[in-house]
Amino acid sequence: MKLLIAINSLEQYRKILCFSAQFVESAGESPTILHIVKNESEQQNRSLGGFSEIAQEILKVPNITSSVRTGNAADEIIKETEKGQFDLLITAEIPINFSRIFLGTGTPHIINKVPCPVMIAKGPCRLIRRILLCDSGAGRSSTLSKFTALLVETLGGHEDVTVIHVMSQISAGPGVAGKQLRAGFDELLEAHTPEGELLDRDIQLLDQPGIHPKPLVVHGLVVDEILSEARKGDYDLIVIGAHVEKNLRRFLLENLARRILKQSDRPVLVVK
Amino acid sequence: MDNPPSTELNQVERPSGQKISESFEAVLPVSELIVETEAKPTWRIPIRLGKIFLFSFSLYLFVLAINLMKAGARGITPFIRDLGIISNPIKSLGFGWLFSYLILSGSPVAAVGLTFFDAGLINEYGTFTMITGSRLGASFIVLFIGFIYVLRGRDRATSLSMGILSLTVTATTYLPGLMLGIILLNTGGLDNIQFNSSIMINSFLEGAIYPVESLLTRFLPPWAIFLTGLGVIVVSLNLFDKCLPQMTLKESQIGWVSRLVYRPIVMFIMGAMVTMISMSVSISLSLLVPLSQRGFVRRENVIPYIMGANITTFIDTLLAAVLLQDPTAFTIVVVEMISVTIISMAILIVFYQKYHRSLLNFSDWVTATNSNLTIFMFTILITPLILFVI
Repeated sequence: MKLLIAINSLEQYRKILCFSAQFVESAGESPTILHIVKNESEQQNRSLGGFSEIAQEILKVPNITSSVRTGNAADEIIKETEKGQFDLLITAEIPINFSRIFLGTGTPHIINKVPCPVMIAKGPCRLIRRILLCDSGAGRSSTLSKFTALLVETLGGHEDVTVIHVMSQISAGPGVAGKQLRAGFDELLEAHTPEGELLDRDIQLLDQPGIHPKPLVVHGLVVDEILSEARKGDYDLIVIGAHVEKNLRRFLLENLARRILKQSDRPVLVVK
Repeated sequence: MDNPPSTELNQVERPSGQKISESFEAVLPVSELIVETEAKPTWRIPIRLGKIFLFSFSLYLFVLAINLMKAGARGITPFIRDLGIISNPIKSLGFGWLFSYLILSGSPVAAVGLTFFDAGLINEYGTFTMITGSRLGASFIVLFIGFIYVLRGRDRATSLSMGILSLTVTATTYLPGLMLGIILLNTGGLDNIQFNSSIMINSFLEGAIYPVESLLTRFLPPWAIFLTGLGVIVVSLNLFDKCLPQMTLKESQIGWVSRLVYRPIVMFIMGAMVTMISMSVSISLSLLVPLSQRGFVRRENVIPYIMGANITTFIDTLLAAVLLQDPTAFTIVVVEMISVTIISMAILIVFYQKYHRSLLNFSDWVTATNSNLTIFMFTILITPLILFVI
């Protein structure tokens, strides 16, 4: 797995590296660390500060490819990913620059534009053992499970993966029978509902050595339920699919991935 | 061909080809749903000559009804004034609210409010509050239908959620809208928005309406003319509902409303547009059933849809104001629409997420136990009664 570790600010340097270290060891390829600096003096500070040594120490790999780019963080990260054919980008939240709001800025812009999955390190650095995989069934949701399986293989341990589907529907009319609106996974699977079959397919894709997949159906508002479950189950990583919509659909649909990313207090992996 | 008043969906075919038995009944005359296995939904709206005739006839009845009520209201004004049942705006609010409960419809009551204003029985504030009351009462309809389902043994939460949301969204937007509207009426900021009736309307009234009206006024007392007008407007609005184009949703694996979460503003506009065509919030809400897989709709999509529907539902009241040829009546309806729009937009822009959660939590609380439901039902019945007797 070819990793790009993008560092925008010195405050997040250790956290991103600490988080990335879990993937680097089994990735099979040396990672690339991209420093984004505002100007040349900041570039000098970073090269003088012995950051390469710190990175080697934290990541525990002898060879690290480093590159430095000057300019807008989001744009430079996008350019680097387009150049390098990476399998995963690991970075922290990139703040929104309001002067560039119409051109695209911050983490959402990166997620929209980069060609690979993006992992955003949030909250304290934690060992990834419990993963919450959110599958709405929209788009290419099997990609989500496949990439999660690949990721868990890279982590190399025994990870618990909970595949969650939020049924946020209510009955559209008084006469609609709504038994399924309160049903759990087993009942939904038994009734051959799309939700039950979706989770069943995910569980089958994830059913590999070292992975302990578990289906979960919850009822409520999508974003609220995902964040609540992440806190309640003390998950180490939330995995979601990217909402990369184009043209009219972009303006019509709510970007739930963006809201989860914004409100989550723990790392989020956005798969595309 | 018209749909029967109830629709049964018996089989849904999945992408795998497997058929799953499901059934639901839609109380209101909703469109037929055919679910097939292709990818994208297409719409067929067959417009038949019979429907055009029915629409023209219902429009004629609507115009006739407004004029009959207008003529009747003038005759019964001294009697109602003596009764003192709508002597102030608060009483008018309660009266409009209760009257809508009684006839399970808001539009005829709003039209009554306008004719009372035209006859000088109530002032502009009383008219404004009576129209507001009519909408609050009308939003009870979906809840009432759900309540019947509960009495018949259906699950509380499933049957009542949409009705409770409809009523709470209406109450939380119309009551602040009422305050804003009164300020707008008081300042006269929107007095310039008026509609002057055209020559075409006048010649239509003279040729097709006044002869029938004068015939009835010759034989019937004013109160009977008023009640005839009220009956005719109820019939005409029911006929309007039957004129709705029959929408056949084809080639949809999963209904779009249940599968995707739309931006609130998108659902707001959608609710407004669908209701502008259907002219009824309850019809507009019932259309969500065939548009969604299994009759389920996303929680995230419902509230802005109801908000939008609550604004364009005034379209028939606006038409009634035009037909009354009373510029101030027209202004009152416009102020009502504008104030509700401002409140709804403020909620959507400023604190929609909190509002959304609060209403859904409230709906869950109401349907959680029988005692909560009893408290809620008692409150919504006693409140207009208290307002009416104040």
